[in-house]
Parts: sequence; C-alpha cells; structure tokens
Amino acid sequence: MTGNLLVFLGAALASAVEMVETLTIVLALGVTRGWRAPLQGAVAALAVLVVVVAALGPALEAVPIDLLRLVVGSLLLVFGLQWLRKAILRASGFKALHDEEAAFAAEVAAARAAGGTSDGVDHYALVISFKSTLLEGMEVAFIVITLGANQGATGIAAAGAVTALVVVVIVGALVRHPLSRVPENTLKFAVGVMLTSFGTFWAGEGVGIDWPGAEVALAVLIVLTVAWSLLFTKLLGRQPIAVAA
Amino acid sequence: MRRVARGVVDFVVGDDIWIAVAVLALLAATAVLVRIGGEAWWLLPAGVPAALWISLVRARRQARGSRRLS
Repeated sequence: MTGNLLVFLGAALASAVEMVETLTIVLALGVTRGWRAPLQGAVAALAVLVVVVAALGPALEAVPIDLLRLVVGSLLLVFGLQWLRKAILRASGFKALHDEEAAFAAEVAAARAAGGTSDGVDHYALVISFKSTLLEGMEVAFIVITLGANQGATGIAAAGAVTALVVVVIVGALVRHPLSRVPENTLKFAVGVMLTSFGTFWAGEGVGIDWPGAEVALAVLIVLTVAWSLLFTKLLGRQPIAVAA
Repeated sequence: MRRVARGVVDFVVGDDIWIAVAVLALLAATAVLVRIGGEAWWLLPAGVPAALWISLVRARRQARGSRRLS
C-alpha cells in the first residue's frame, strides 16, 4: 500500500516537473503562432507516450522479478542520482536554476523569427511542440514503466503521471502563462530522492541482498537519502558560483 | 541506429558517466560479497552517496575552472 503510494507520488512529481517545462514551450508557440498546431503536436506526442507505456509496462511485468529488479533498479538508481546531482548543483549555486520566464521569452522570440506557414499547416509549431512534449515525456514514461513494472503497479504509476499532467494543463489553461512559481528544483530533488531510494532497494534485491527489516528498509533508505542530499547541498553551497545551465 | 543508441546512452547516463560507472562497480562488489556469504546490505547505502559526492566535487571543480578561464 505504502509502496504503491510512493510509486504514484514519484510518477506524479516527475510528470509535474517535465510537464511544466513542456507547457512553457507549447504556451509560447500558442500565443505567437496560434493554438491549433502546438496542441496537435502535443496531443500526438502524448499518444505516442501512451502507446510506449501501454506496450512496455505489461511486457516488463512478465520478466523474472530478480532480473527485472536488478536491471530496472540499476537504471532507476543511475537516473535518480542524475536528478539529485542536478537539483543539488542548482540549489547550491553551481548551476543556474531553470527559469520558466526566460525559457518562455526565448521560445516566443524563436517562434516569431521562424518562417510562416506554407501550405496552411504550421510545420514549425507542430514539430517543436511534438518534439518537446515527446522528449520531456519520455523521461516520465521511463519512470512510469520502471517504477510501475517493479512494483507490479504500472497502472498506478501511469495514474500518477496522468493526474499531474491534467493538473498542469488545467492550471496552464487558466493562467496562460509559464508556471514560474512552481518550485521546480524542489520537485526535482524529491523525485531524485525517490528514484535513488527505490533504485538502491530494488538493485540491491536484484544482486541478492536481504534488506534488514525487509520493506521497512525502503523507508529508511528514503530518510537517509534526504539527509545526505541536504547535507551535500549545504556543504557544496558554502562557496557557490552561479554558472549557466 | 548509432544515433539512437547514443541517444539512449545519453538519456540514461546523463551529464556525468562517473555515476553510472560507480553504480555498476558498487553492484558488482555487492554481488561478490553476497556470493562469498558476507554481509552486503550496507555497501549500497554507503557507496551511493559517496559516488554522488565525488561527482558533485568534480562538477564544482569544473565550474570553478570555467570561471577562471572566462
């Protein structure tokens, strides 16, 4: 039950982070070039992602559990550490924070500079929207598939991602402005902690570890990961230097 | 095909290949400890933060180096 809740939360938070970035691009395209092509591109990319998750999720659940835990746990651990690394570097001033306002302004300028439509179809807006939604969404699909398959809860992970997507789209449609107040780096930090903890737990089981306390060890790993991540942020941030991302 | 493979590697490995290498080494060491019958559960919780810390220190060094050059 707790494991499923954590899977839901992990997928939802990861989806929220990536969808906020995608929303910024789709909004910039929409307000400068019209809404039809950007929305078509985004919907087409989401359809591709749904097919990927629907095909790979159940297929992975059929793989022997020890092999699945080793492979998927290792991937989650590497992926989670990359998210944590980026979040800690940003929080401690060694990497610039992702600025949705600046990203929005850059996308608007690029969209204005791009050529007009030739055959009634805005290829520029269609392709940029499709590509950005697909690339950002692929990270979410990866997290949904791996978290879900290992826990035998692909549906729950997918539900978390879809919930976050719906919330971001509704809020974006209401404000029609980049969601710059979303604490993106904090969300990235939280996702990094969860992926790293799940990855450590499952990859460990995959290589034959019997964790002391069984499932309780996962909760302990989460607490420990939060603690050392905060410690690293503090230690690293003593002499920060802001550099471009 | 090569571009797709490179894209997948970039996607998983990310900004610092050290992390992926360290994780593989830690898992291999843990597997060996398990096979020889030793207590192995502590190795990942100890090694994972150490690997990340080394990666962060490398990033900090690079950031300082690029500031000196600019």
